[in-house]
This record gives sequence, C-alpha cells and structure tokens, in this order.
Amino acid sequence: MPKSQHSFTSIRPKGEALVWFTGMGLSVGILLIIGLLGIILKNGLSMFWPDTIYEVQLVEGSTAGPRNGQNFAGAIALERHKRLQEATNAGLTSEFQFFAGNKDAYGQMYHYVDADQIVTDATGEPLFTPASGILQLERIEFGDALGFPLEIQLADGTTITEPEALKAALFKTIEESNERLETYTKIEKKQIGRINSKMESIRLEQRALREELGEAAAETSPQIQELNEQQAALQAQYTELAAEARELRERRHQDSLLLRLATGEERRISFENITQAHFPNEMSLPGKVGFFLKQIWRFMSEAPREANTEGGIFPAIFGTFVMTLLMSLAVMPFGVVAAIYLREYATQGVIVRAVRISVNNLAGVPSIVYGVFGLGFFVYVLGGSIDELFFSHKLPTATFGTGGVLWASLTLALMTVPVVIVATEEALSAVPRGMREAALACGASKWQAIQRIVLPASAPGILTGLILAMARGAGEVAPLMLVGVVKLAPSLPLDGEFPFVHLDRKFMHLGFHIYDLAFQSPDSDAAKPMVFATTLLLIVLVIVLNLSAITIRNHLRKKYKGDTF
Amino acid sequence: MNRYFHKELEEIRSKLILIGEKANEAGRLAVEGFIESDLEKTQAAVKMDDEIDDLEVEIDRASVRYITLRSPVSSDVRLIFVAIKASHDLERAGDEAHSIAKKTRTILTRDGKVKNPVEIEKMSALAFAMMRDAITSLLDENLELAQGIIKRDKEVDRINKENYTTLYNEMKGEHGDSSTHVETILISKSIERIADHAKNLAEEVIYLLTGE
Amino acid sequence: MSQTPETTNARADFEPFIQIKDNYNFWYGSTQVLFDMNLDIPEKQVTAFIGPSGCGKSTLLRSINRMNDLIEGIHHTGDITIADQSIYDPSLEVISLRKRIGMVFQKYNPFPKSIYENIVFSLRIAGRNKKSELDEVVERSLRGAALWDEVKDRLHESALSMSGGQMQRLCIARAIANNPEVILMDEPCSALDPIATGKVEELIHELKKDYTIVIVTHNMQQAARVSDRTAFFYLGKLIEYDVTDNIFMKPSNEQTEAYVSGRFG
Ligand SMILES: Nc1ncnc2c1ncn2[C@@H]1O[C@H](COP(=O)(O)OP(=O)(O)OP(=O)(O)O)[C@@H](O)[C@H]1O
Ligand SMILES: [Mg+2]
Repeated sequence: MPKSQHSFTSIRPKGEALVWFTGMGLSVGILLIIGLLGIILKNGLSMFWPDTIYEVQLVEGSTAGPRNGQNFAGAIALERHKRLQEATNAGLTSEFQFFAGNKDAYGQMYHYVDADQIVTDATGEPLFTPASGILQLERIEFGDALGFPLEIQLADGTTITEPEALKAALFKTIEESNERLETYTKIEKKQIGRINSKMESIRLEQRALREELGEAAAETSPQIQELNEQQAALQAQYTELAAEARELRERRHQDSLLLRLATGEERRISFENITQAHFPNEMSLPGKVGFFLKQIWRFMSEAPREANTEGGIFPAIFGTFVMTLLMSLAVMPFGVVAAIYLREYATQGVIVRAVRISVNNLAGVPSIVYGVFGLGFFVYVLGGSIDELFFSHKLPTATFGTGGVLWASLTLALMTVPVVIVATEEALSAVPRGMREAALACGASKWQAIQRIVLPASAPGILTGLILAMARGAGEVAPLMLVGVVKLAPSLPLDGEFPFVHLDRKFMHLGFHIYDLAFQSPDSDAAKPMVFATTLLLIVLVIVLNLSAITIRNHLRKKYKGDTF
Repeated sequence: MNRYFHKELEEIRSKLILIGEKANEAGRLAVEGFIESDLEKTQAAVKMDDEIDDLEVEIDRASVRYITLRSPVSSDVRLIFVAIKASHDLERAGDEAHSIAKKTRTILTRDGKVKNPVEIEKMSALAFAMMRDAITSLLDENLELAQGIIKRDKEVDRINKENYTTLYNEMKGEHGDSSTHVETILISKSIERIADHAKNLAEEVIYLLTGE
Repeated sequence: MSQTPETTNARADFEPFIQIKDNYNFWYGSTQVLFDMNLDIPEKQVTAFIGPSGCGKSTLLRSINRMNDLIEGIHHTGDITIADQSIYDPSLEVISLRKRIGMVFQKYNPFPKSIYENIVFSLRIAGRNKKSELDEVVERSLRGAALWDEVKDRLHESALSMSGGQMQRLCIARAIANNPEVILMDEPCSALDPIATGKVEELIHELKKDYTIVIVTHNMQQAARVSDRTAFFYLGKLIEYDVTDNIFMKPSNEQTEAYVSGRFG
C-alpha cells in the first residue's frame, strides 16, 4: 500500500483532541457562570414575590410549630431532606421550613417542621390549604406580621370591624400614616437639621469670640449679644417645629390595628409600625407581578431597617456607585500618565522592564494589604495632616482623619492602577506607527503627537482597562472595611447640604452589605434572601457601570476605526 | 481620465499631420513642375525631402520614448505603431516626390520643356487625393474613408499602365532619343508608388481603428 | 566599474536644491545601509528613487526630514543640505525642519479625525487657530490635492470614511497644508488601484510646479511617467543618477539597464 494513502485513512487527525479540550474548558466556564447567576437570580428575585400563605395543620400530639403543636399559618420557604441521622431513626426523609412571621409573638420568623408532623391528605402528601383572608403586614420593627384583621381603632375613637370597610380603612390609614411620616421626617431631618447646623456654627463663632476676647469681656460684647439673640430665635423655631413633629408622631402612634394570629392570640399593632399591607392569597397574577415590581423598587430606593435585614439598600447602592466613580476619576489620570511615561518616554531597558514587572505584580498583592496601607497612609498620615491644617477647630473629632469615601476610593484606585497601566500600555503600543510618523512628519513634537493623535486613538483600549478596574474595584470588600465603609451610614456622600459632595463621610457598600447580612446578622434565616438580592444588585450595578463604559468605548472605536494599517 | 502625458501623444499626432502635408506638398510641387515645365517648383520639391526625412526621425524618436516611458496600452499603442509606419510611408512618398522632381529637372535641363505629359496630371490628381484622404482618415479616424481608398488604387494602376503603353508605343515609332520617355515612365511609376503608400497608410488606419 | 562619472556628470547642468553630499553614509546600529552617497536634487522637479527592495531608498528619503531620528542607534557621516542649509545644523530644530518638508507615506495614514482637522493639524500644532486662515488653507490644500470638489460638502466628516485613493490624496493635502518646500513620498501609490494611482501621478505632475518632490517607487513605469530625474540604488549604493529619459532609454550602467528592463537578479 502506498504510504500516502495511509495518512488519509486516519480517522482522528492529529491535534483534534485539543479542540475538544478547549471546548470543554469553555463549557465548564459557561456552566459555572450560568449556574452561579441562576442561583443568585432565583434566590434574589424570589424575595420580592408574594408567596402564598398556607394553613399548616399539625397532627395530634405534635409539639412542632411556633406554638408547640398549635396549627399556624406560613409560607413554605424550603423543603428538604432531613439530616441523615434523624432520618434513619424516624424512617422519614423530609422537613419543611416555614416563614410564619410575627417575630414579636413567636420569637423567630422561620420554623422547621418535620413532614410527619403535618396532617396529610388522601394520597399521603402533606395537606396545605391557602389561608383565606390572611393579611401580611410589613412592619418597621419585628419583621412581617401574618394574621386576620379584626378591627381598626383610630385616634379619634372610631373603630371599624365590618370586613369590607376594614379593608378599605386599612389601606387608607396606611397611606395617611405614611404621609404623616414623610411630613415629620421632613421637619425633623431638613428643617430642624438646618436649624441645628446654624446653631452649631453660632456655637463655634461664640467659642472663637470667647477665645479671642477672653471669657469676661466676651459676655458684654455686642457680637456675642447678637449671637445670643439669634440663638434664642432659632431655639424658638426649634421648639415650634419639634411640637408639630411630635403631634404627627403621636397621631400615628394612636391609630392601631387588631390582628388575630393563626395560632389564636390577638395582637394590637400601631400604624406607626406598619409600612405596607397586602392579602397574599387573594392576589391575582397581574396583582402579584405589580407587587413584585413595587417590592423591587422599594428595595432599591429605601434605606435599610432592623439591622439591615429589612427595608431597602439604597444607601449601599449609592455608596458603591459614588465610590466606584471616584475611584475611576482617580485611577484614570494616574494610570494613563504612568503608562505614557513608561511606554513613550522612558528608555526601554532593564529598569523599565523591572518597573513593568513590579506593576504587574502589584495586581497580585492581597487587597487587604492595600486596605492596611490606605488606613496607615491615607487615613492617618494624609487625613490626620488635613485635619490639623484645615479642621483643627473640630478636633478631636476627626474629619478626614478617619475612614471615608475619599480614602476608600483612593485605596481602591491604588489597588486597580496596575490594571489601567497595563491596558494603557497595550493600547498605546497598538496605535499604528504610521499615525505617529504622520504626526511627527507634520512637524508635531513628541508630546503633541501623543496628546493629539496617539491618546485619542488609544482611548478605546484605555477604557477597556478602566472597565476591568471598575469591575474589580466595585466588588472589593476587604480593604474597604479598614478605610471607611460602615454597616449603616447616617447620610449619603452626596446630598443637598453644602458643599454637596462630602468626601469625608463614611458610606455603605453593597459588597460589605452582603458580608454584613450573611455573617453579622442576628437572624440569618431572615437575612438570607437579602443576601441574594443584594448580590444580584451588586452584579447588576457592575454590569451597568461596565455597559456604560463599553458603550463609550464602542462609540470611540467607531470614531477611530478605519483600516489604517 | 486624460493623463498629462497624453499631450505627448498629441504632439506625435501633429507631427504626423505635418509630415503628411509636407509629403503631399512636395509631390504637388514636383508634378506641377513637370506639367508646367517649371524648374523652380522642381527645385523646391527637391529641397523638401530633407525636412521630411528629419520629421520622420523625430516621429520615430518620440514614439520610442513614449513606449519606453509612458507604457501605453490598447489604442495608444496602435496609434504609436501606426505613427511609426505612417511616417515611414509618408517619408517614402516624399522620396518618390523627390525622384519625380529630379527626373523632371533632368528632362527640363535637357529638352527645356516637357513635350508629352501623358495622363500624369489626372493620375497625380487621383494619387494625391488618395494620400490626402488617407491622412484625413488617420486624423479623423474615419474608417469608411480609409476603406474607400483601397479600391481607388486600381484606377491609378490602370492609368499608369496606360501611360506606359502610350509611351512605349511612341518609343517604338519614334526612333530618336527615348530617354525622356523612360524618365516619364519612371515618373508615372513614382506617382503609382505614391498611391501605393496612400493605400498602405489607409490599411494601417483600418488596423488602428479596428485592431485587425 | 565607472560609477562616479555618471553621477558627477548628471550634477553639472542645474542648480541643486537638496544636496546629499560629502559621501553620506548611514548606519542602523552597526549595520551600514547607505554608502558614500552624493546626489543633487533639483528644485521644482520630480526625482525618483528606484532600486530593489532593501537597497536603502526609504532610509535615504527619511534621512532628508530626519524621520530616522526616531530609531535608536542610528548614525551617519556626510551631510545633507536643503537650500544650502545643513539639516544637521545644531541651531536648526528638527521640528522646524519637518515643517518645511511634507511627507506622504506608503500606506495612507489619515488621522482619525475629520477631513478638515486632518489638514489643519500642522497649523494647529503650531498654534495657528484663526478660523479664516484655517478655512483658506483647507481649501487651498484640497484644491492642490485635486480633492476639493469631491469632499467640499463633507469636510467635517471622518477622514476614515473616504476611499483609499481619496485618503492618500488627503495625506498629500495634509503634506502641502504647511506650504513646504519639499514633498517626500515613500511609495505613495503602492496601496492604490490603477485609477487612484493615475490621479495621484497626475497630482504629482501638477505639484512639481510649486514643490520639489522626491518619490520612492517600486513601479518603474511610475518612475518613468512622473519623474524628471531618476536615481537607481543597489545595496545601499547610488549606481546611476540621470534624467529619467536616459535612465530608461539608454542607461550607462549595465546594472541599471538590467533593473529597468526587468532582467535583474
Ligand atoms: N529600523 C531599522 N533597523 C535596522 N535596520 C533597518 C531598519 N529599517 C531598515 N533597515 C535595513 O536597512 C536596509 C534598507 O532599508 P530601507 O527600508 O531603506 O529599504 P528600501 O529600499 O526602502 O526597501 P523597500 O523597497 O522594501 O521599501 C534594509 O536592509 C533594512 O533591513
Ligand atoms: Mg521602503
């Protein structure tokens, strides 16, 4: 047989196995990503969906459930096989986790019940009937309440018990109560807050004057007199506003709802504690969808409550956003300038190569090390000096001498700068030589050529670097814990109060929020859905930031496209 | 698109016109000198030959330069080749005029006057018309005109033969000096050759225009 | 072999504008690529550099506006003068030298900017930003590059939206925007189709009324068509330099003859 024929009949060409191998690598990657995203999506989103509340009937003699054997109502949170050891004893495999709410009455919101403790139907399956007419209340304290409404008692003495009227009055009262809440928060936060800050500045002025003139002379000086008068006027205003707020508060406190729990006891709940109510078993599908969307919106736009396990995560979203933005603003110019020098000006030799390797290796330093550096350098050294120089009157209260959004951003910028430098260097070297030569041949100096031609042309590549840096920075938690992130920030780093941007403020961050919910929360069952929802949001935020950078990059690419080389 | 060096092609073309006109003019002067027994015209015709020769060299040179430097293709190449060939034909026509003039001069210096001009006038009119038309057809790229010329050559050939017979018979009857007759026969032959060159030129024009 | 007589012979009959003289030698690191060059280029004429690949045409061309300075480790001996001024004169800045010399590259390389901005680039970097002046320069340059009628309605569109031939003419327009004395072209048509090539050649023929042009080309027909004088290089040496007619019709050197007749190598 001729030799050549042999190679044609070979079934498996050489190297084909490698193609399978690469394909396999990709599929594993895709599978992991899809799996992870799927879990996060499902768990994150299910938190917003109004679950059906079932009546859970327990078998005779059972001691399970929130009230030791009494029937109760709850949503099924989980069904799973029991731990092996117990299962072998009982010969049963399954247990349920119910969400029964009413933490104030039951002590905890989630309860595990073995399947054999639940009354079964003809087929032997556990019998769950939707609890008709059950009301789910979202409360400021103690989490959700589940129960059947009995009566509403208003501050003016009226009581409503008739079911239909009660339903209408319930929603109306919640709405009114929320309006009152808004009004008095506005009074307390905005107006009284303004008065407070004015009083504070008067106080500081007084102190300065006293120091200047001496204690005794100050008392008689006209300036102090005037300040005192102003202070008195403000005090009067304050009293007035405070009274108004108190009245509204009082009113909210007095309205109340009487609820019968599925376990039999009755509880009276003040409307000041209720933020929202719905009848989960009576909702139509569109109603549920509407509720679902509304819950998502509330989650994104409201502040957290109850040690972060309830309410929304708006401050964390905002904090993450502002921090990432500040980080980008810091890392961009720094990284780009460094890369320009490295690539364009430095004589390419041993030293530059060493610098380049060091920069690349910086990306591998554990992020907590950056946190420590940020704390030591930015917070204590830089922040401390700034405080001494500019904010000495506030000492010993630190302004910049403690963690804050600025220091956190700078720390992350430092951490991500290698990414930007590497990407920028790539982008610079990818600019066609012809373009540079053309600029130089036109009589441009080197800097002019870089500034006017090379940099714009490499902008898409530089932005890619920024995208990577942002993705890394936005998801980072460890260093932030040292340089300014907090569990609960009293105010946002950006607001309507002069000077609007408060770089010294501490802030909340989605990544840290996740950590806090998952590991620091008192009720981990209650926090679990929040963990997923927050993770989902962090991912969405990173995607949104990246998408906007990618859009800009594509726009630039189109602009600088063309087949020049 | 017209390229700047197409101007050079135009120059070759106009030199071609010039050489054509000169050849025709030389022929006309030579024949008129013969018919009118005008020695002066004859002398002028003799002199023109050098100019024609120079022009041909110029055309050849320009054509070779154009081919070397401008890398012409298609109709431009054909034009160049036709220019080389046509200038050659025209130069030969000029040579014929030169020889007519020289022979006329011999007759005139010997006899003082041309006694029997036979059908030279009519024949030369035909031949020069052919030559003019050939040049016109070249310049105007007139295919029909060029194709017509080829047929017209027959008439000139016929008259030439007639002239020959007439002169030959005369020579047989008249026992005297027959050298004038011989020279007249040669003059007639030269005119016939001019017509042949015209025909050649026409054929080249046909080649230029059709590529066949 | 008799090289020197031919070159010196060709030198006598005109006033040189660019002079490569004093046995110009050029090295990339330790590799010498140009050997003992002496070459006088006339004003307002087209001079073509031809020769096989790697013979140093581009190197010599890029020496004239000192583009080679960008490469590390180069050095030279000898001198190049433009209008009797040495380009290596320490008091002469490279930037101002390049402003006097326009350059057109093998591959059209417009900036990723608008047509307008491409042309005024050299003015803007010199700090000349007056609108009326820029407008005037744009029109003059585009007309000079025979491009005005084609693009006058889309001056502010991206230059990258043009055809290859248009882009190359834009690069020529950019090169003449600053009113240079010399235009250097390194294989300006090698990326263009015959029609675009024809247009550029036509343009070169027009431009030589105002500018001294030096063009490197691999296309011998092109050298024959556009140039007034032609220099043939081989292995870094100037083999023959003469008026184009002589180089192509009766070269005195047999290597030249072999090269132009395609019998080389
Ligand atoms: N940057 C460089 N560093 C080192 N050697 C170089 C460099 N540029 C060119 N050379 C060498 O110099 C010699 C001449 O190159 P040059 O580019 O001038 O040739 P050329 O005649 O323009 O060739 P081509 O026709 O292919 O463009 C070549 O041998 C080349 O390898
Ligand atoms: Mg080259």
